[in-house]
Amino acid sequence: MSDIVISARGVQKSYDSNHVLQGLNCEVGKGITGLLGPNGAGKSTFMGLILGLRPRQGGELNVLGVDPDRSGPELRTRLGYAPEHHDLPGDVQAADLVRHIAQLHGLPRRVATERASNALWQVGLGEERFRPIGTMSTGQRQRVKMAQALAHDPDLLLLDEPTDGLDPVQRDDMLTLIRRVGSEFGIDILLSSHLLEEVERVCDSVVILANGIVGHSGTLQDLGSAASGFKVELDSDPEPLAAALVARGAVAAVDGHSLIVSGVDSASDLIRDLVADLGLGLRRLQPSRTTLEDVFIEASQ
Amino acid sequence: MTEARIHDRGYMAYDGLRHGPGRAMANLSYHTVQRVLGLKRSNWQKVLPAIALLISFIPAIVFIGIAAFLPRGDELGLESSADYYGFITGALFLFAAFVAPEAVCTDRRSGMLGLYLASPLSRDTYLVAKAAAIAAVLGTMTLGPPILMLIAYTLADAGPDGVTGWLTELGRILASGTALAVFWTALSLAVSSLTARRSLASVGIFVGLLASSAVGDGLAEGADIGDSYALFNLIGLPFEAVFRIFGQTNTEGPPIGEVDTWLIFATLIGLIAAFGAFARWRYQRIEITG
Repeated sequence: MSDIVISARGVQKSYDSNHVLQGLNCEVGKGITGLLGPNGAGKSTFMGLILGLRPRQGGELNVLGVDPDRSGPELRTRLGYAPEHHDLPGDVQAADLVRHIAQLHGLPRRVATERASNALWQVGLGEERFRPIGTMSTGQRQRVKMAQALAHDPDLLLLDEPTDGLDPVQRDDMLTLIRRVGSEFGIDILLSSHLLEEVERVCDSVVILANGIVGHSGTLQDLGSAASGFKVELDSDPEPLAAALVARGAVAAVDGHSLIVSGVDSASDLIRDLVADLGLGLRRLQPSRTTLEDVFIEASQ
Repeated sequence: MTEARIHDRGYMAYDGLRHGPGRAMANLSYHTVQRVLGLKRSNWQKVLPAIALLISFIPAIVFIGIAAFLPRGDELGLESSADYYGFITGALFLFAAFVAPEAVCTDRRSGMLGLYLASPLSRDTYLVAKAAAIAAVLGTMTLGPPILMLIAYTLADAGPDGVTGWLTELGRILASGTALAVFWTALSLAVSSLTARRSLASVGIFVGLLASSAVGDGLAEGADIGDSYALFNLIGLPFEAVFRIFGQTNTEGPPIGEVDTWLIFATLIGLIAAFGAFARWRYQRIEITG
């Protein structure tokens, strides 16, 4: 079985004159993938295309091996979707709602009833499953949404801002649950969010959308191990050292009493030697790692 | 020896039978019928649908009771089953305007539409399932009482003459009841597709029907510029169609009784198609994921 869950090549989508996706290219692999991007970047539009709710205007899109435009209903039996909004019918019991959605995804009634109950236990609402949703807190509603997306055992789970409206404790619980669904349950997840720390905490990979295209995509492990140079902190003005480094072909960016140095091999040896030659006081010399925030800001620009 | 029980079996994968979109539509229709009838909801939600159903069935029960003592159809004040629909106009109006919008408006307001369209249902199959649910309840109101009366009259020896007459009457009831149920379903869906608020849809249907009645009859009768303008009367049109199905004319009613039968049927079918197409057009344009 392919390790590629979603493959997009030149995907385009416009609403009238608004070109939301302008040739989007990306591959989403197994595990938990964060779909990041500022508001209006096209995250929700991309999710809509993955679900087959809207036809795209160009490009190729493959989700779990099929084209959503051509096989939408068949594909959606294998997808779970938890939308961003918190509104669910208030007078319906959680267990009834989850069973109903499971039945719509093709499960026979008896199986749907069992799995709805099981899914609600798994998300921590076992004791609350017969309560009307209108009496539940925002955190519990988010869990109901998660349960209805899980009950029919999807291959791919699409979560749209799953921690929106949650307090810090509820948010922590939800992220733990998402991690558990992705690791223990073995369900691949595409998580749309604009919160970097959330994505860093639970995701294996990230796709950053900006202005309708993919600004960056890759695993967080690769991102963390990618050293982008060295950070140098001195006890005096770093300008003389910066000038000396630039004279030897390095790139040196001054930030207060610190320098970010890149662009040369054996940078640490060069910095050490120049600091000694210039008689400067060295407080810190450490590899400078590219953070998700760095990539996000760069991609968003 | 203590008994060990496993309470948490963990998450379990499922690789058993999965039904297709057809079963999803049936399930959605069933769920919608339950919702519009107020089942599994508060007693307050059951009041309007219960009143609508009672209004549609009580006259039939009364007529059946009378038939038991006066087994002669002509003496019951009912020339044919077409007359019966005059008794339940209010029930159909009540249901279409104040109960049926619950079938679709609430889904948009509560975000359920997004969950439905993320299932094997498409926008079209969703709409067909909803229409089927509304039509099923309306059909119960338009078909149930006349069929009950037909059976009761037959048992009381006051029914149509002969097998042919009986089957003709049954066919007319089926055609009339279906036409009324489909018309009111299409009308209700079309107006409800304009808003996520059930109350607004109800007001829209209520005002729209009254306005159409005033305009249609006003043009045809008041302005006297032609009987065909009475076709604008959306309350009178479907019931006139029922009279024509039974080979009669509602001579006591507004000037629509003077309009050609083919024009009545063509207008009714055209309106059903237009209402259905409008609802579909609206639902194709609703954004789900933002």
